[in-house]
Amino acid sequence: MKDAVRIQSDDFSQDEEILALKASSRRMGGIATFVGCARDFSEGRDVAEISFDAYGSMAVSEMKQLRSDAIAKFGLLDARIVHRICTVTAGDNIVFIAAGAEHRVAALEACRWMIDELKLRVPIWKKEVTPQGEAWVVPHP
Amino acid sequence: MIKVLFFGPVVERIGKNALEVGYRDDMTLQELRDELALHYPLAFEIVCFFAVNGQHVRDLALPLADNSEVTFMAKFSGG
Repeated sequence: MKDAVRIQSDDFSQDEEILALKASSRRMGGIATFVGCARDFSEGRDVAEISFDAYGSMAVSEMKQLRSDAIAKFGLLDARIVHRICTVTAGDNIVFIAAGAEHRVAALEACRWMIDELKLRVPIWKKEVTPQGEAWVVPHP
Repeated sequence: MIKVLFFGPVVERIGKNALEVGYRDDMTLQELRDELALHYPLAFEIVCFFAVNGQHVRDLALPLADNSEVTFMAKFSGG
């Protein structure tokens, strides 16, 4: 089975990730997922592609800590985080987050919390390629 | 020797993704930051996070050990 937390260049399968999450517990009654994907338009500009840079070892370490924190904070049964580091175009998947809990509220809240925290804590940077040139993305809420 | 790493937008402003700085006794993260900022002021305009050996550091007074890996990072934009 694939690690619950990973960075990879290849696309991920949401079905496989959810199956892996479900396999961790028969008490899971609610699963919330978030998929971040590439857009073809951002900040008033067309976007041809998006590339990523990451401090790989630290990114994985921070994502593992984030998963542990979420499990403890929301009483989750399990959680998974996968982030792609590659070049993507519109519609391609970028990040997958899943939270599994006994009930829906914890799963939904944990999923939202994990993606918000990932953006704050995990050393990954996104660069957009536009007709006007390339630009590193400035984070926004 | 201190190994210094850069990523993403900081690499673009420095022109390289790593460099080495000679270690000195009692060297702190603040001293290393200030030394590099003199040489790469544009890059350090956007540096807002620091890591030592892959761990976030918020206290710039942290003493550095020889052979540390130090990273100066811009705001993250993953996800």
